[in-house]
Amino acid sequence: MNKSVDFSQPQRQSLPGILVLFANSLQKTVRALWPILLIWLVKFDSLNKLVFFAVVAGVMIFIGIISYLQYHYFTFHIDNENQEFVIQKGIINKTRITIQLHKIQQVNINQSLIQRLVGVYKLEIDTAGSDKKEASISAISHTLATILKERLINHSQQESFEIGETVIVDVVSTSFIKIRLISLVKIGFTSNYIKSLALIFVFFTTILDNLQQLNSHVIDEDKVTDYLDTLPIITFFLVVVGFFVGLILVVNLIRTILKYFDFTIQKNKHSILLSYGLLATKNKLLNPNKVQKVKLTQNFFQKKLDVLTIGVNQASSDAEIANAKDPIEVPGCSMGERDFILKLLFSQLPQKGTQYLPNWRKLALNSFFILVLPVLIFIGMNYILHFILWNDLIIYASIFTVFATIMLWFSFKNYRFFVSEDFIIKQNGAWDIDTTIIEPYKIQAIKTQQFFWQKATNIGSVTLSTAGGNIDFTTGNYSEIKELVNYWLYQLESTNKNWM
Amino acid sequence: MQNFTNETIDINELPNFEEVQLNQLQSKYFNVIAINLSLFNFFILILFFGISFFKSDLFSNRVWMIMGAFIGAMIFLSFFLAKLSFNKKGYAFRTHDAIFKEGLISETTAIIPFNRVQHVALHQGFISRKLGLASIELFTAGGSSSDLKIPGILLEDAQKIKNLVSQKINPPKKDEPIELQPNELTVTEEHE
Repeated sequence: MNKSVDFSQPQRQSLPGILVLFANSLQKTVRALWPILLIWLVKFDSLNKLVFFAVVAGVMIFIGIISYLQYHYFTFHIDNENQEFVIQKGIINKTRITIQLHKIQQVNINQSLIQRLVGVYKLEIDTAGSDKKEASISAISHTLATILKERLINHSQQESFEIGETVIVDVVSTSFIKIRLISLVKIGFTSNYIKSLALIFVFFTTILDNLQQLNSHVIDEDKVTDYLDTLPIITFFLVVVGFFVGLILVVNLIRTILKYFDFTIQKNKHSILLSYGLLATKNKLLNPNKVQKVKLTQNFFQKKLDVLTIGVNQASSDAEIANAKDPIEVPGCSMGERDFILKLLFSQLPQKGTQYLPNWRKLALNSFFILVLPVLIFIGMNYILHFILWNDLIIYASIFTVFATIMLWFSFKNYRFFVSEDFIIKQNGAWDIDTTIIEPYKIQAIKTQQFFWQKATNIGSVTLSTAGGNIDFTTGNYSEIKELVNYWLYQLESTNKNWM
Repeated sequence: MQNFTNETIDINELPNFEEVQLNQLQSKYFNVIAINLSLFNFFILILFFGISFFKSDLFSNRVWMIMGAFIGAMIFLSFFLAKLSFNKKGYAFRTHDAIFKEGLISETTAIIPFNRVQHVALHQGFISRKLGLASIELFTAGGSSSDLKIPGILLEDAQKIKNLVSQKINPPKKDEPIELQPNELTVTEEHE
């Protein structure tokens, strides 16, 4: 082992690391200023070139200086006296992070794209204290990183493994899966259409807003409309729809790959570590004990392509309950990988058990609110305001009716609830079919609900609250639901199993 | 090990939460509801009379009369509904859980097992304090939607219930070491 490195003296990061810091700062700046930058690019001809390049060069130099200073003031060392790992950083606001060596749980070495280009690594230290990464060194050479990792972990192991066990536990991951690029491509093409649509919408409105503020005439709206007007209506329609569908697919694909590139799942002794990301590598820790709710999402295309997305809701420390609302996602799992992950989380494959179906009145009620009522309102409004021709209205209404009927039918048909001894599983959704899994002993509270007109037909609903979100079953047989509630209460109250 | 049995559970034999005899809220508590409702209605009436007095040419007298009658009817109805919904409310504390039932149009029954309660709080509003009433709130880790608040309990009963629940969630230590508790079972607190 290379003992020549003396970690008791404050160390700087590796010199090429300045480039990484520079790239990070640049990325942040660009991200903050992108609408302005885009407009500059569009209006490039009308700008004063000299001023433009001067400004760009000035900003670059400024970021460069900041990066150098960041590099200069960032030091780390091991304090042998106090048994602590110390990081000092900050140009104006000085920060000093100290981590007691015996509290270090794991040390990870990662590489993002920029770090890969420069040939440095990122070292992250994770302690028992929190879910987040406590401290990280963003540019360190591989040899130094491995030595430091060894040093840090040996320290913490010395303390914890003196209790009899002589086996050196391999702290490096025991098992892991990697999500392949092709799976990400599949997911990118088949999901999140609405999210991407919203993103494109925000993008265009921001651009238009900025353009209008500058009162420029870069895009002549009239010209565009004139051009589109010359086309026949069908072609026009196809062009617009085709453009948006293409854009959504491309944006989807890019977003998915940027976000989830090189998705790796590692199983360690206490936890599961997820790391992913092309530009910026993200790390997330999953603690199987803290998992409250798991949601599998798959649509028709994804089923054919054998990919699905897993979302995991964890219980966070009490103050951060709100955070539990956004799940940790694993995109692009195949069936085999899904089973592997479910086994990691639940230590067995969830059994579906007894099936419960909703009453047909659920379909009737949904049809009324989603199909009949909107159509009636639309017809009524047109009767008063006459904004479109009746012939057109019939066409639109029938398209909507067909579409809504299909969606309603599938969402009713897919709505299922399964209860077994160890699992409660809900399946719902019209296109994207969600399968939500919770374990009965993780229920915090149970609420049953019944409208007074449902009493005669014996229909009711139940909501189960967990620390990671709720799960409900509506318009079901109320006697069955009450029986289930009694059963769950029995399960909850007869054992004292830790829910976290 | 000898005492260990693992018989199959007959679901029909399990205690039924629906059959539990629920306690009514203290009838004094309706006064609290009535006073709050009166304040609100009084405010609405002031507003209505103010507008009709200063802007009387806004509508014809006839329309004002109809609106007045309508508001009067609404106020009467609000008291009527408040009374009905008050009568519907009921709570029960079983050995292992708390039950609270409420709702006129939509009847909900919320159940929280004591071993999921994070902490208990006792609240007393201004009017409640004068009447010697209090409300009990049970907090769980399931977020605010799953917390349970039972109003209209006599203060001494409420304190008893609070102590009972705190004892259930922080049982006195026996000789065997208690498992590491994941949730911080905080000391109960009192709010005024």
